[in-house]
Amino acid sequence: MKKEYRIPLLSNVAVGSATHVLTFRSKEIAAAANPGQFVNVSSDLFLKRPFGVLDTDPEAGTFSIGVRRIGAGTGYICDAVPGTFFEVLGPLGNGFVFDQTKRIIAIGGGTGIFPLRFALKRARELGIPSLSLNGFRSKSDIILLSSFEEVADQVRISTDAGDFGTKGNVVNLLSELTKEEMKDAILMTVGPEIMMKNVAKWADGAGLFCQVSLEKRMACGIGACLVCVCKVKAEAEGEPFRHVRCCKEGPVFAASEVIW
Amino acid sequence: MVDLTVRVGPTVLKSPLLLASGTCGFGREVAEYEDLFVIGGICTKGLTLMPRLGNEGCRTAETPSGMLNSVGLQNPGVHAFLRDELPNMRSFGTKIIVNVAGHDTDDYFRMAQILGDPSVPVDVIELNLSCPNVKEGCMTFGASEEGVYQIVKGVREYTDKPVWVKLTPNVTSITETALAAENAGAGAVVLINTLLGMAIDIKSRRPVLQNNTGGLSGPAIKPIALRMIAECDQVLHIPIIGCGGIASAKDVIEFMIAGASAVQIGTMSLLHPGICEKITNDLICYAESESIERLSDLTGTLLRW
Repeated sequence: MKKEYRIPLLSNVAVGSATHVLTFRSKEIAAAANPGQFVNVSSDLFLKRPFGVLDTDPEAGTFSIGVRRIGAGTGYICDAVPGTFFEVLGPLGNGFVFDQTKRIIAIGGGTGIFPLRFALKRARELGIPSLSLNGFRSKSDIILLSSFEEVADQVRISTDAGDFGTKGNVVNLLSELTKEEMKDAILMTVGPEIMMKNVAKWADGAGLFCQVSLEKRMACGIGACLVCVCKVKAEAEGEPFRHVRCCKEGPVFAASEVIW
Repeated sequence: MVDLTVRVGPTVLKSPLLLASGTCGFGREVAEYEDLFVIGGICTKGLTLMPRLGNEGCRTAETPSGMLNSVGLQNPGVHAFLRDELPNMRSFGTKIIVNVAGHDTDDYFRMAQILGDPSVPVDVIELNLSCPNVKEGCMTFGASEEGVYQIVKGVREYTDKPVWVKLTPNVTSITETALAAENAGAGAVVLINTLLGMAIDIKSRRPVLQNNTGGLSGPAIKPIALRMIAECDQVLHIPIIGCGGIASAKDVIEFMIAGASAVQIGTMSLLHPGICEKITNDLICYAESESIERLSDLTGTLLRW
């Protein structure tokens, strides 16, 4: 039977001005988590907060998440000291699909890059060539660059400010891809909704399969409460669209299914 | 050994703990975390005659000690429920309480006819006269004595199964709507559904919920639920089922002392799936330490000042 774990924080490392990587001990979550899945983590407020898994170490029995300080709940988590216990549900949801994948292009923006780090690591383990495209506001916002270079065959960066890498956003990086780099590639994207929408549109135009990881306000995280639904295309005739649970059917969906 | 069984009219429950409607779907997800065999029953997600997609946009907001939701009765409809969910629910080995939400009076009567048929293996019909997140039906009936009476009386014509009435706290006097339910033939009243509330995003100056308002649940509403149960216990002759922010065995005991024969765990089961097992164990410890042989002896034992 599944259970809610009460687990300790092992380390909390600031990786940017408002972003932390937190590592927890849980051999169960470390062993079971797949890229794109998430954990629902308690704070000192009422609801848990969902975070995509950044990394796992099944041998050590640990897993990590990346947290950006947005409000009081994420603030509590970012300020937590090692030894603090958290109530955690996970791993939850459906992650990225790697079946018959010949090449991966991972496109991340903001905190969306965290689950992609895990996906790129898995791609490396599976022997799948990979290219990582990450977008940031400016050079000072770039995080985890060397960590991505460890697991991706190539890493390219765009900045809105243009002070590092390609000027503009990740769609500018996509439009710079060569035919060879695009051949047989599958796209995986996580980031702000507008970014994912533009990536999905680009993928559609390029004829490439794209997986998107959606983010919604959640409560239970296990599919029971129906507050985190996403709008996807209808299956039955006469149905205008479907509301599916981000936490249960997602968070990763085929981009072609999503109604933005 | 402590006797946890309770009676709600003719219905015998293995334990006073029920899972509240809208917080456990049709049991599938919770069953991965909780042995549902040991609880008293499961109340289904609110069912409508036809499938509903529910409300669009943001459906939840966090509040101090609680949450707002405006799901808007997303559900597959009563026919898909009977085909796809009920057989699985029966395998849990606990009572099935179907929560029924209508757009109009005929909806309630039609669903009572379908689900109240002796051949349909559901144990109790719970009339949802209290969902605050839909434009028509539900709370609009539950807000007045006449509305409650009309629906309950009509539904009674269509079924011999126990009919529980889940009432809204968004009224001036809960005893009046509760008495209307009793007079119309309800087997029990369920107190309380969510309180209508709002959350505001100060940047956009818009309500967080796209439905503008939503139902407040969680420990924030527990004192209101207790007060309403205690009030109704003084005037009703039918059993009361308590609901509203229950998080622990101590809460269950408070609700029973106030007058509840059984209780529904909702929001806190969403937050901590598996909570019923802990509450059950704690209830047994409490009863043993207090030398209580039958937990049901606690019901309605409030000593008022």
